[in-house]
Amino acid sequence: MTSTQHAPTPDSGTRPIELGFALVDERELAAFARHERLTRDDYLDQLGEARDYVALPDDAEPTHFFLGSEFCEHLLPSVEAIDRAVALCERWDLTFGLVTPIACDGLFDPLRAALARLPAGAEVTVNDWGVARFVQREFPDLRPVAGRLLGKMLKDPRLPSATWARMYPNGLRAGPFRDILDGLGIGRLELDFPPFGAADMYAGIDFPVGVRAPYGYIAKGRICKMGSLSLDTPEKFSPGHKCRRECLGFNEIGARPGTHELPTSQRGNTMYYRHAKGMAAAVAEAVKNGWVSRIVLSGA
Amino acid sequence: MKITAPISTPAEVEPLVRAGARELYCGVVPPDWIQRFNTSGVNRRVFGNLNGYADLERVVDKATALDADVFLVLNAQQYGEQHLDALTEIGARFRSIGGKAAIVADISLIASLAANVPDLDIHVSSVATCRNVESARFFAALGANRIILPRDVTVAEIGAITQALPDLDIEAFVLNDGCVFEEGTCHTVHLPMNKGGPICIDNYQFEYRATERATGGGKPHERALRRLEQNDLDYKRWLWYRFGNGFSVAPNGYPWGPCGICAMPAMHAAGVHSVKIAGREGASERKIKSVELVARVLERIAAGEPEHAVREFAVGLRDAPSHCAGGYMCYYPEVRSRQALGDAEAKLPTAA
Repeated sequence: MTSTQHAPTPDSGTRPIELGFALVDERELAAFARHERLTRDDYLDQLGEARDYVALPDDAEPTHFFLGSEFCEHLLPSVEAIDRAVALCERWDLTFGLVTPIACDGLFDPLRAALARLPAGAEVTVNDWGVARFVQREFPDLRPVAGRLLGKMLKDPRLPSATWARMYPNGLRAGPFRDILDGLGIGRLELDFPPFGAADMYAGIDFPVGVRAPYGYIAKGRICKMGSLSLDTPEKFSPGHKCRRECLGFNEIGARPGTHELPTSQRGNTMYYRHAKGMAAAVAEAVKNGWVSRIVLSGA
Repeated sequence: MKITAPISTPAEVEPLVRAGARELYCGVVPPDWIQRFNTSGVNRRVFGNLNGYADLERVVDKATALDADVFLVLNAQQYGEQHLDALTEIGARFRSIGGKAAIVADISLIASLAANVPDLDIHVSSVATCRNVESARFFAALGANRIILPRDVTVAEIGAITQALPDLDIEAFVLNDGCVFEEGTCHTVHLPMNKGGPICIDNYQFEYRATERATGGGKPHERALRRLEQNDLDYKRWLWYRFGNGFSVAPNGYPWGPCGICAMPAMHAAGVHSVKIAGREGASERKIKSVELVARVLERIAAGEPEHAVREFAVGLRDAPSHCAGGYMCYYPEVRSRQALGDAEAKLPTAA
C-alpha cells in the first residue's frame, strides 16, 4: 500500500563534513562579532566543558551559523539581530540559517518580517508543518530544513534497555515522509542522536542528515516554568502570555537520584540530555560512513 | 458541539452514550500485531486498549445502534515504515465494520490512510501539535477532516482556526489528564511507576545555575534564587492540579483535573465541533462522571442560556469553586470568570 520508492542516498563520505553552530540568545552575537573569521575551536569553545563530548573529523571547519530557537515562540530573533548575523556570515563566508519553532498564529507576522531579512539561499530550520508551508509559499528563495521536532524518535534517557527503545521505531525512511518533505521543498533533515542509538540509525535515510550535538532534547512544552517567573500567580503556567526570556539567564541541571543516566538539564520549556563519549563516537562513525553530512553544535 | 469520550471496553459504550457522548474513541491491539512486531505499541497508550477485533466490532455495533460514531486511535507519535501497511490494513478493517474515523499523528500514516482508505475520516491527533491555521491547512491538504488541537492553546487561537477553516472540524480538550510537555514533542514513554512513571513527575533533582552571561556561571544570586524557589512552589501546585488534583475526585464524584467546562460557551461560539474528554486508561465510573459533567454544561448552552450564566453554573458543578479560582486547574485559564468566582479568588487551596 505504501509503494513509493526512493533512490538510496549517494555516498557523501568523500565530501568534507559541514559544521554549524546554533545560537539562541541574540545578545551573544556581540561576542562572535569579535572574530574576523570563525574556526572549529571558536565553535567548540562555546560549549564549555561539553566540548569533550563532541567528536569532529579533522577537516571539519565552520560552514554554517544559525540563530533562533527550535523550542519557543518567544525567542524569535529581532530583525536587527538577524541583520547583524547575516552581515557577520557574509564576513565569515558562512551560510546563515534562521531557526524557527512550532508557531502560534500570532508568530506568523513576526516570522514574515524575520524571513524577509534573509538573503536568497539562506536556510530556515522549520519545526512546524505550517511554517514549512508558509516558507515554501512566501519565501521560495530560502532553503527549508526539517528541524529535529519534525524528525520524531524515542529519546527517553531513563529507558532501562535498548529493548525499550525499539518499542516505537522512527519513520524517517517511510516513503510518504520523504514525499511530504519533497512536496514542501525540504531537502535536508536535522536529527538528534538518541539514547541507545547506533551510527547506522542514519543509514538509508535518503536525504542529507545533520545531527545536533552534544545535547539532544527529550521533551518540550508550551507551558514554561521559567517563563512564568515574572508573572502573577493566576497567569503562570498558561499559554498566550508575554515572556521576559528568563531561560536565557538560568537553567537547571540534575539527575534522578541513584542512577547513572545521561546528564540531564532543563532550560525554559525543554529538557535535554548531554551525549556520552560513546554517543559522540557513534556520530563520528556515522559521519565517516557518509550517513551524516553535517554536525550542528548547540548548547542546552 | 458534541462530546467525544474515551472507552476501553464494549461495556462502556451504552452508559457513556446515555450520559451524553455522541462520539467515542478507542484503541485496539490486534493479537497478530504483537506476534508480527513484538510490541504492543499500536497507539500512544500501552494500556486502555480493546482486546482485539471482536471487541472493536462490538463497540461499533453498540455505538451505531445508539447513533454514536466510533473513532480508532492510531496515534503513536511515529511509526516505523515496516508498520505502515499493517496500520493501513487495520484502518481499512475498521472502516469495513462501520468505524467512522482514525485518529492519527504520524504524517506518513495520514498520507497512507488518505490514499488507501479514502472513505475513512482522518482526525489529526493532538499528538501532531497542529495549532495554527497554516498547519491546519497542511493537514487538511493531506486528507484530514478534523484537527484535534493540543492542550495548551487559548480560546482565541482556537477561534482563529475555526474561522479560517470553517469546513474543517475542530476538536478541543475539555476535561482530564493534563500533559506537562506537548504530546507531539515529548519523546518519552510513561514508564511503570516503579521505574519513574511519566518523566514530568519523575524524581529529578535539579539545581539552578546561572548562565555565563547572567553572572559568569554558577549558582544564582540569593535574591534570584528565592524567586526561583517560590516559582518552583507555584509550579508544584500547578502540577498537582495538572495530575487530577492528586488523582482525586470531587465529593460529588465529578473528576478533578484539567478542565475547560467554563470555556465551553466560548468554544461553542468559536465554532468548535467537539469537546474531548481524555482518559482512555481511566476507570469506567470516572469516564461516565466526566461525560455527565460536560453534558450538563452542554445542555445549558443548547438551551440558549447566556454565556456568563453557563460559566457560573460550570464553576459551581463540583461544589468547590476555590479550585477554579486559581486557574491552575484550567485548560483555558483566560476564560475564568473572576466575577462569578467572587470571594473564592482570594482563597487558593494548597497542594497536598
